[in-house]
Amino acid sequence: MGKALRPKGWVLLAYLLPGLIIYSFVVLVPIFAAFRDSFYSWTGGPKKTYISIENYKEILQDNVFWHSFLNNVLMTAYGLIGQVGFGFVFALLLMSKMVKLKGLHRTMSYFPSTLAPVIIAFLWMLIYNYNYGLLNAGLTKLGLDVLVQSWLDLTGPIVLLASIPLSWQNIGFFTLLMLAGLSSINKEVLEVAELDGATGIRKAWYIIIPLAKPTLVVASLLCIANNMRGFEHIYALTGGGPGNSSSVMALYAYETSFLRFRYGYGSALAIAIIALTMLLILLSTLALQRRDSKGGAY
Amino acid sequence: MELQLELQTQRSTRRFLPSPAKLAVNALMLLFTASCILPLLWIGYSSLKTQAEFANNILSLPSAPQFGNYLEAIKLTNMLQLSWNSARVTLLSVIGITAISYVTGYITARIDFKGKKVMIFYYLFGMLVPIHALLVPLYLLFKNFGLADQWYTLIIPYIAFNLSLPIMLISSYVTGIPKEIEEAAAIDGLSFSGTMYRIMLPIAIPVLTTVAILQFFSCWNEFSFALVLLNDESLRTVPLGMSYFKSQHSTNYPQLMAGMILSMLPVTIIYFVFSSRIIAGVMAGAVKG
Repeated sequence: MGKALRPKGWVLLAYLLPGLIIYSFVVLVPIFAAFRDSFYSWTGGPKKTYISIENYKEILQDNVFWHSFLNNVLMTAYGLIGQVGFGFVFALLLMSKMVKLKGLHRTMSYFPSTLAPVIIAFLWMLIYNYNYGLLNAGLTKLGLDVLVQSWLDLTGPIVLLASIPLSWQNIGFFTLLMLAGLSSINKEVLEVAELDGATGIRKAWYIIIPLAKPTLVVASLLCIANNMRGFEHIYALTGGGPGNSSSVMALYAYETSFLRFRYGYGSALAIAIIALTMLLILLSTLALQRRDSKGGAY
Repeated sequence: MELQLELQTQRSTRRFLPSPAKLAVNALMLLFTASCILPLLWIGYSSLKTQAEFANNILSLPSAPQFGNYLEAIKLTNMLQLSWNSARVTLLSVIGITAISYVTGYITARIDFKGKKVMIFYYLFGMLVPIHALLVPLYLLFKNFGLADQWYTLIIPYIAFNLSLPIMLISSYVTGIPKEIEEAAAIDGLSFSGTMYRIMLPIAIPVLTTVAILQFFSCWNEFSFALVLLNDESLRTVPLGMSYFKSQHSTNYPQLMAGMILSMLPVTIIYFVFSSRIIAGVMAGAVKG
């Protein structure tokens, strides 16, 4: 752009500053504040005791926190299958000429994404309900009465059961994301592949998946970030229960601070969550990129 | 949304799959779509039953629609107050997000300046940072500054946490517009600000609409910050009010369902009115993001 169009420095700054200030105040300042508070024992009152890295030492031995972390990781794994995996399959099907009513599928499957996580959690609470739940009613109708049970009281598969509503809500978004990625693939490549006799599943496996890799990588990273920060669904669906079996990191930090009034420890947990999440995203970025260059399918 | 339709017509070879496969694939897709919408329809018609009728058979249709459930839900949740609070916070946040992200997105698309890359990365960071880890420090910060429990409290985090994606969307949209338009405006003597607002803003209306709708959903549905930053009952937003309603009146399912339907009515209406524009926007964001 020509010099004539370039605004003066202070004009530029005046335009950019409001956004940067409000963003920094909410995103960056709390991180620094949490870092500072994480070295104190503090119940919220005027008395703050400096305890050096004791909070962090405690985190290392805090079973509930690490259990919550594992739940986050487990939820991420379920999310990668349920959201990215199924989203990709549905996008492939929606690309094929076999499927009718594409507009309807797209519109309806994205609709749950626009609803509040709290409402999604209530809906699934009703679905899982022992006496009045859709799931048990369906099982009874199918003659599978033996499977009827109080779903949200099962400690074993509780993380899976809590992940299903998340996948249910987000699968439409991931389908759209993949559709967008798939439709940007060079059509000539697909034509040549077809002339060479690659169709159906073979075409999907050997041609489309390698070409869609960038989209799959972006989707996976988004999915990891989403599941590591998960809070609202779990808070509203199980409250972390039964016991601590479905607790996630953010929920544990919330409870530690607001129910047990341990603000110093809660701040240390916040720092730990940010560090762990960033580490995981970094590692998965590296892993996905490495496979990218090794694969050589292009 | 003709993106993938082209793909099919351009194919040079045609293979006819056996119709059972075709049927199976269509059945699978219909099942998937139905599973996205049927639970909500169930909530919809169940909200019109009496409690006894619902307990008797949870799947049957209501014999006589009980609109009284809705009146009760409105009364018990104080839905009018909740909706007013949500509407005020959401509307102001969406205006703030759209205004800030237009200016920031436009400038990043058109002007090179020192630190631009750092700024873009800084905003991208906001999409990855686990925001719910910040609930505790944010609460303490807001309390210290006396910003908690005000009518405007939520507007601040709602704007801040929703800037990243809109800036990216708007920036890539502006990049796609020919620069000649602005150059002509500059030759005619229009200032930078004049060009940004009078010439480019109207051209950017489609992307701004998409941004505004998507952020409307995000702000209307937000729960965590409302939970932590508001104590005052008269300031509660719809999702927050619903969660208290749920824990206090969890035995009357039809009434709870009526409340759920009411709480999702605004997003549902907006979604089905603008669905094609929303889906196009999400897909555009996916390709560019």
